[in-house]
Amino acid sequence: MRKIRKVAALACVAALAALGLAACGDSGGDGGSGKEGGELKGTLTSFPDSLDPQDSYTLEGWEALYNVYVPLLTYQHGSGEEGTQVVPGLATDMPKVSADGKTYTLTLRKGMKYSDGTPIKASDFRYAIERLFDLDSGGSSFFSSIVGAEDYADGKADSITGIQANDQTGEITINLTDPSGTFPNELALMFAAPVPQNTPKDTVQTNNPIPSSGPFMLTDVEAPRGYTLARNPQFKTVQDAGASDVPDAHVDKITVTQNKNQSAQAQAIEQNTNDFMVDPPPADLLPDIENTYSDRFRFEESINTYYFWMNMTQPPFNDLRVRQAINYAVDPAALTRIFGGRLHPSQQILPPGMPGYQEYKLYPGPDLEKAKALLAEAKPSDMDITVWTDDEPDRKRIGAYYQDVLNQLGFNTTLKIIGGDIYFDTIGTLKTPDLDTGFADWFQDYPHPNDFFEPLLSGDSILQTNNQNYSQTSIPELTDEINQLDQEQLSDVEDQYAELDKKFMEQAAWAPYGNEEFTTFTSDRVNFDGVDFSLVMNLDYSSFQLQD
Amino acid sequence: MPPAGAMPTGEPPLPVGEDVEAIQGRSPWYLAYLRLRRNKVAIGFGVLFIVIVIFCLAAPLWSHLVAKTGPNDNHLTDQITIGGEKTFVVAPNGIPLGPGLHAKFLLGADDNGRDVMVRLMYGGRTSIYIGVMAAFITTFLAVALGLLAGYYRGWPDSVISRVLDLIWAFPVLLLGIALGTALAVGGLKIGPLEIPPDSLWIPIGIIGFVYVPYMARPIRGEVLALREKEFVEAAVAQGKGPIRIMFTELLPNLVSTIIVFFTLNIANNMLLEAALSFLGAGVKPPNASWGTMIADGEDRLITAPHLTIVPGLMIVLTVLALNVFGDGLRDALNPKAKLRMDQ
Repeated sequence: MRKIRKVAALACVAALAALGLAACGDSGGDGGSGKEGGELKGTLTSFPDSLDPQDSYTLEGWEALYNVYVPLLTYQHGSGEEGTQVVPGLATDMPKVSADGKTYTLTLRKGMKYSDGTPIKASDFRYAIERLFDLDSGGSSFFSSIVGAEDYADGKADSITGIQANDQTGEITINLTDPSGTFPNELALMFAAPVPQNTPKDTVQTNNPIPSSGPFMLTDVEAPRGYTLARNPQFKTVQDAGASDVPDAHVDKITVTQNKNQSAQAQAIEQNTNDFMVDPPPADLLPDIENTYSDRFRFEESINTYYFWMNMTQPPFNDLRVRQAINYAVDPAALTRIFGGRLHPSQQILPPGMPGYQEYKLYPGPDLEKAKALLAEAKPSDMDITVWTDDEPDRKRIGAYYQDVLNQLGFNTTLKIIGGDIYFDTIGTLKTPDLDTGFADWFQDYPHPNDFFEPLLSGDSILQTNNQNYSQTSIPELTDEINQLDQEQLSDVEDQYAELDKKFMEQAAWAPYGNEEFTTFTSDRVNFDGVDFSLVMNLDYSSFQLQD
Repeated sequence: MPPAGAMPTGEPPLPVGEDVEAIQGRSPWYLAYLRLRRNKVAIGFGVLFIVIVIFCLAAPLWSHLVAKTGPNDNHLTDQITIGGEKTFVVAPNGIPLGPGLHAKFLLGADDNGRDVMVRLMYGGRTSIYIGVMAAFITTFLAVALGLLAGYYRGWPDSVISRVLDLIWAFPVLLLGIALGTALAVGGLKIGPLEIPPDSLWIPIGIIGFVYVPYMARPIRGEVLALREKEFVEAAVAQGKGPIRIMFTELLPNLVSTIIVFFTLNIANNMLLEAALSFLGAGVKPPNASWGTMIADGEDRLITAPHLTIVPGLMIVLTVLALNVFGDGLRDALNPKAKLRMDQ
């Protein structure tokens, strides 16, 4: 997760999804039968970074919030390709776009209420977007092309002038500084979900859940221990307003608790004392689970890239030869074993299934001799580096592997392991000392290659906080190319994106090593065939249903 | 039936039938040695502890001559030959090699393809090192504070006792976790003293600190009793200053207590280190300690229980050995004492 954007034409929304999802799985869906009501228990390894729709920017967060907060547009509920389609959410229809592509007009459905009974108003959308800037959210960059957004962010204006909202008619007009073909996708992100205007603007509300507009509401959040979702009693008003693409929940309550032990999570599902787990089972249990529980376990396609970032602004990684040495030394086949075989080895930025993906390999290996030769040539002035990773079991192992590789190359390393719920915030804050290199991953926000380049590799996207460009890559000519390609029809520039991928890897901006496959594993109590796994939001809690 | 003159209380037998002139005086240390020697169980466990220490000290030898790998070396894609067949240290599906009669990977491999035997030996060095060094810190601080509080009484005693009470008020594990977590990110920096967060001196310092009240309070009590004795009054009458009295009169009388506490403290320190490391607030991965090894093996409890059981067993044996030997020492040095480290 995490991104930014802007593009040109509007018809590309559907095309994006169609083009980008050739490799998507067709698991889940509408099979099986179940009953309404009941409660489910789930587990996850790390508590989400946040449960505030304007702040959360991780898969865990969006998975939890997908059925709690509904944006004007939303991602369709369904597995595989279906789950990447943008459909009307709280808005009556898809936006009307002006001829110059700069003005979007939507209408809010009438008579809807938040879970606390507060009416949902058109101006709540503007409030939510303004809140993004007040929170300095990583999602604010998606909406910085709205007229007046930068002035608002800089404190020069009291509100964003480019958003006009009429609470009487429900009409919302959004004026952009430049046309953007991906703007509907961005409107469907969790960041743009309207929230009541009594929500504090400048503080994250994870522990004080904001009233919901979706089928569930957050009732009990105890970060980092867990959270509870219960039926939203006011969701009927959303359904009555015609939001047919936002399905109601089947179960009354879902309790999700953090458990760092993935074996314990999986065994609890085997014994039907836990109903689902957000993360995959550990590698050693996978073969047995796959064979024994094939009626309630399956692999799921996911569009992502795992990589090591290297801080290009300071020694030793400001030297291209050092970064290339790392790429030669890292062995994707070794890391595949840490994932229990669930990792497709790859050494490029775009993952399979993403438009613009063309397989290539610039750094054949692992070749430690070549890596050492490059380092000997570079003679880095600083060999003392800090390696960052988080405390999830697989991530710790990845960090230990990477540290060992760096030690073999002659670096003096310190492995820093911090909590999964604060990891990305920590390495995304540039003031954090010793940001040298470490673990990172990226899951698509929507199927467009710009989602990988602009937030993660553009010099324009380096932020003091909530930074996603962990390598702090700033190569002016490539940043210009990102901006230029973003203005084009995707279908016309797929090959250029593939070339851009190579150009960044020639600069060894990252050391990528693979693309992860996900899993769905549920207890006997769950109607497994009915469980949807979205390519954007992962598990869809509204599809959870107890067996008959 | 004991020989005539033998003490039924466990004291060494008095010499019977010897020429009075030939009888030599026996120092308290010699008597303690004789008492300890007769406690076969304590001696047995003392020997066990020494064996464990030798086993851990031999880690570099095993690592270089037998296993030919270091404790943190990953072998994710390597193969070894077992029974003439090439076998992956970690299979492509992520399952690591199990224990077996092969010099390399005698106890199998962990998830990163690291040799568990090598890590067990190096981990033991770490755990014992932390236990001993923390015990030195605890002992030094506890003796200093106990002497000051017990000798001076009055307001120094009040201040020191209240500070110790404050530390005592927190459960050891909770205080250890709090300190370990707080120091995990930035390490410790006090003036010119700078300790990086991954240094072993962080858990050593924490463990050494949290156990101070448990040793300082009984020592203070003993000093309070000792300072009322005649030999202290005699020393005062001779014009000795407080510091000199503390070091030349009181401290020698505390040595047996300190030795017993020190031994028992090592065992407690090792247990606390294992707990803190297991919870991520002690030794920092990938460095091996028995606590971090248990944490690493936690996820494999069903499919590879030896990853957890073996380091756990080593902790049990070491702590048991130290406790039994410590009890033996206590009985030998001061049979009437009822010293124990309450928690």
